[in-house]
Amino acid sequence: MSPELVIALLAAAVQAGTPILYATLGEMLSEKSGVLNLGVEGVMAFASFAGFFVCHSTGSAWLGFLAGGASGALLCGLHSLVCQVFLGNQVVSGLALAIFGIGLSNFLGTPYVGQGTEGFSKIAVPLLSDLPVLGQIFFRQDILVYLCYALPVAVWFLLNRTSLGLRLRAAGEMPAAAAAAGLNPRKLRALGTMAGGFLCGLGGAYVSLAHMHLWTTGLSGGRGWVAVALVIFAFWRPGRAVVGALLFGGVMAFQLRLQAMGTNVPSSLLLMLPYTLTILVLVFTAARARGARGVASGAPAALGVNIEPEG
Amino acid sequence: MTAQRPAGRHTAADISLADVLPQVRLSGVSKRFGQILANDGITLSIYPGRIKALLGENGAGKSTLMAMLAGRFKPDGGHIEVAGTRVAFDSPRQAIAAGIGMVYQHFMLVENMTVTENVLLGQEGGFVLNLAQMRRKVNELSERFGLGIDARARVGDLSMGERQRVEILKLLYRESRVLIFDEPTAVLTPVEAESLFAALRSMSAQGKSIVFISHKLEEVLSVADEIAILRKGRIEGEFLASEVSSPADLARRMVGRDVVLEIEREAVAPGRVVLDVRNLSGPGLDDVSFDLRRGEILALVGVAGNGQQQLVEVVCGLSRPGSGHVTILEQDWAKFFQSRDWKGALAWIPEDRAGLATCRGLNLTDNLLLTTRQGFAQGQWLERGRASTVATDLVREHNVQPGNIEAQAWQLSGGNLQKFVLGRELYREPRLMVAEQPTQGLDVSATEAVWQRLLLARKTAGVLLVTGDLSEALTLADRVAVMFRGRVMGLFPVTDTAQVERIGSLMAGLKA
Repeated sequence: MSPELVIALLAAAVQAGTPILYATLGEMLSEKSGVLNLGVEGVMAFASFAGFFVCHSTGSAWLGFLAGGASGALLCGLHSLVCQVFLGNQVVSGLALAIFGIGLSNFLGTPYVGQGTEGFSKIAVPLLSDLPVLGQIFFRQDILVYLCYALPVAVWFLLNRTSLGLRLRAAGEMPAAAAAAGLNPRKLRALGTMAGGFLCGLGGAYVSLAHMHLWTTGLSGGRGWVAVALVIFAFWRPGRAVVGALLFGGVMAFQLRLQAMGTNVPSSLLLMLPYTLTILVLVFTAARARGARGVASGAPAALGVNIEPEG
Repeated sequence: MTAQRPAGRHTAADISLADVLPQVRLSGVSKRFGQILANDGITLSIYPGRIKALLGENGAGKSTLMAMLAGRFKPDGGHIEVAGTRVAFDSPRQAIAAGIGMVYQHFMLVENMTVTENVLLGQEGGFVLNLAQMRRKVNELSERFGLGIDARARVGDLSMGERQRVEILKLLYRESRVLIFDEPTAVLTPVEAESLFAALRSMSAQGKSIVFISHKLEEVLSVADEIAILRKGRIEGEFLASEVSSPADLARRMVGRDVVLEIEREAVAPGRVVLDVRNLSGPGLDDVSFDLRRGEILALVGVAGNGQQQLVEVVCGLSRPGSGHVTILEQDWAKFFQSRDWKGALAWIPEDRAGLATCRGLNLTDNLLLTTRQGFAQGQWLERGRASTVATDLVREHNVQPGNIEAQAWQLSGGNLQKFVLGRELYREPRLMVAEQPTQGLDVSATEAVWQRLLLARKTAGVLLVTGDLSEALTLADRVAVMFRGRVMGLFPVTDTAQVERIGSLMAGLKA
């Protein structure tokens, strides 16, 4: 491979990793507050349509992007309703949400299949984009990618340096302690889930508005499932999520290039690559976590456990 | 043991008619859960600068009363005043704001967070946290009250005693004026308990009101200024600690009848060795050796987590011995567990009586069958009728309430469940019996019943008693083994007073 090709591949990896990073950080926020949300794939699918639809009908890419986030928050509001109010099982509700989101986006999106949209275009950052190699990889992207550079830091800051983050983590680690401190852990969990859903929605909208610039069914393409796995890979730390997202973005971009170059490898095998990597990553993470005892893996202690009412 | 507190501050009369304004006053407070009247017209005053002990058997309504003060439940009748003003708490937040703070029996701490973060939770004062400043504040508080807690430490790395002091720090940080402690010594070593009492006295001397919930009579007498007794949801008596002549006197006032805490021990001649542990090492265990004969009780004491659990698991066949030899009833460990008999062999009373010893959703007959099913087996079939008869007999013999064998395990109180488990295990006529924390969380009368049974069991068995309660060990045991970090620090008869004096330091790992 020529150096140009490698640089192009890495630039494509950054772009492919961006929606995954949005979604991974979203799921992380939700899980940090104690709510396992397996519905990310559905949330992203629906948000990618909502983003496309709003952009298509208003002509504003930004409105479309925000609509993606809002629709994600809305869908995850449903998950909160089931789990925080009716104490439904988080795994079942999350899976239902995944199926529901995918189905809804296909149903509503049928008339628009194949239609394109302007969306976001690439902007070269002055000065930085002239850097050799790095400039071409990181600073000739669209604005949402640049936004995404700041996101892990923002999420880390929110979780570790603000009162809201402290409360969210308490709700995820030990809801009873939060309640004894006079807080309402269920509200906190609903907030964490919906804020996380907003980020997942942004990730979904990124795919239709900035990556593919069109709407078609199955646009989310399994990114949501990858995000759920990446949260575990990242040990619930935003910094590690960046590594994971780039890794997966790289594999996705690589597999597309290989297909485009017309190798002899069957395309279905190439399409499997990201998911094979997902399985490998989970096996590797599980082995590491066992070595370092559960605590060090960073999983919130009350993750997936609903808050039962007292008395 | 008598109370040690500043003399001459208050006299007997002012419990009811003090000229000091109570910090908190409950007037005729009632709370009902379905059919059960948990609190029935409770009137109680809590004064600044005093330590009030709330004493009662299990299920007397202590927890309900405290939950109402902490804003978790609303009273059905009566009202609560704070500093002379009527209040109605809708949430714990309002109770905290009114200056009422709780230290729960199960700590409300997030293990994965630092001390500072735990103290700050809910009291952050601003969206962005200023951690450096907060750490300084927490460290200052810790120093002022002599708590010795590092604000940076992760709570999960702290001992139980330290965690409790983090809970106290939380309340001090919120400037709570009433500090309520629910069974605070249940998780502490004797030394830690002493330092807790010192902290309580120092806080009380600085004008805080302390409420101390317990059913350990000695410690109530040693720390409290005044004692209120709760029985069946009502206040049955309130008096100064100095009016009480002895723990036995207090026990009498508490249960309303005489309870023999000084249990009669008749000597039983020791028989054959039923358990022989030689140089046992393994995870959590370091060169443990002891033997146990029929006719004696060997108490294994120590702070929880010093290898007792691992030792019990080996003796009861849950985990393999690492290196060393374990001989049970004159058979090698492996051989014994290969062909173990349900009867006449080994019986185990686990610490976790509601989780390990019983299945909460099964009735008492099925729970009886859990460990005795071989005795009721007819080929592939179980003789359920006979099992029910036996269960009925057991329930009657051991005075298990409610006396209905159709009741499911979760419906029984801790004490009654324990009496049932004990009855079931004794039905197996064991020659070796392992009892882990058999009276933890039980009230005085249930404790007494369990003790009597264990002493009786000596006639046919050797009993290995694992306990964190020193007075239990000294009351029941013939010999005591002290464990620390997986090692037996000392093994001696309870009659060896010089050694017994040293148990506390042995438990803390001090050999000298």
